[in-house]
Amino acid sequence: MLTREQALALVLRRLALLGKELGKPALEQADEQTRLFGEAAALDSIGLVTLIADLEEDIRVATGKTVFLADEKAMSRLTSPFRRTGLLAEYVVEIVGR
Amino acid sequence: MPSTALITGSSRGLGLALAERLLADGWTVHGFARGPQTLAHARFRAHVVDVADEAAVRTAIAAIAAEGRIDLLVNNAGTASLNSVLLTPGEVAATLMRVNYLGAFHCLQAAGKAMVRQRSGLILNLTTVAVPLRLDGEAAYVASKAAVEALTQVAAAELAPQGVRVLAAGFGPVDTALTRAVPRGKLAEINERIGRPQGTTIPQAVDFLVALIGDASVPSGSIRYLASL
Ligand SMILES: NC(=O)c1ccc[n+]([C@@H]2O[C@H](COP(=O)([O-])OP(=O)(O)OC[C@H]3O[C@@H](n4cnc5c(N)ncnc54)[C@H](OP(=O)(O)O)[C@@H]3O)[C@@H](O)[C@H]2O)c1
Repeated sequence: MLTREQALALVLRRLALLGKELGKPALEQADEQTRLFGEAAALDSIGLVTLIADLEEDIRVATGKTVFLADEKAMSRLTSPFRRTGLLAEYVVEIVGR
Repeated sequence: MPSTALITGSSRGLGLALAERLLADGWTVHGFARGPQTLAHARFRAHVVDVADEAAVRTAIAAIAAEGRIDLLVNNAGTASLNSVLLTPGEVAATLMRVNYLGAFHCLQAAGKAMVRQRSGLILNLTTVAVPLRLDGEAAYVASKAAVEALTQVAAAELAPQGVRVLAAGFGPVDTALTRAVPRGKLAEINERIGRPQGTTIPQAVDFLVALIGDASVPSGSIRYLASL
């Protein structure tokens, strides 16, 4: 199990690491309102794919659970869990708890 | 550094021969097939996985990735059917698409994620000269492999920024279970058309694949045939 704070910390830590790797310092300042995709988003599409791939591994290491974040349920939601970091953290909590 | 490969369809034919070659070259090899696998080697792990079953593919590849790297995925599992387009049952066409195209898609997606995490990796998809030849009597098979070729090129473009390369490799007829039902005359005609009148043996096909795997200068998205077209 993960709390929302723990999940958010995983997301923000991963974003900061990606920011360093991609040379995008803004990602190191991300908070729970940071937009992940769509207009004015912090990441391009390969950046988002990389975040999801890396985060799935972080979740496995943290919880021992193998999760697939980009499943059909996530993709068909009205409000995409990948829109903002806060929503993604909530989705991580939900999917780990399933 | 020791490398790890995942080969689908490793129980017989080209997949088995390639697995044996990579093991001899020092690789660790994971092999998928629906049925039992006879290959026994300290660095070989057999997995019972139907590549058309997305959940099974995801679970198996996640377990392999949790143990270490996946440096190479060879999407080799495949099936064929020879029939005129007007006489091919829809269910046969659907099966070819499910195994040849969707099977490759599911494996590429799951292993591709592990490779994106590593920021490196190679995905090699098997295709056939029947695609560029637009071979009559194989419409459903050719369409499924044309889809694999298109997937190769788009995935190559998408994954390039993270150091993951995607290639496709094809040949003419090779003597395996896949081609045993094809009339000899038809095989000879295809071999003539691709400038290989002697045909292609399993070791020749494996040499071709191993050379591609080892050549980092082949641009991602390339589709290479062991043929003169
Ligand atoms: N032979 C040729 O002339 C030729 C020419 C050009 C390209 N190719 C391509 O080369 C590849 C290998 O062909 P091959 O000639 O070696 O065929 P093969 O001898 O019939 O072997 C096919 C392999 O794929 C496995 N397989 C089939 N369906 C599967 C599924 N749904 N899930 C997991 N594994 C599955 C089989 O094992 P199970 O049945 O136990 O699952 C077997 O190990 C194919 O993609 C084919 O299109 C072949």
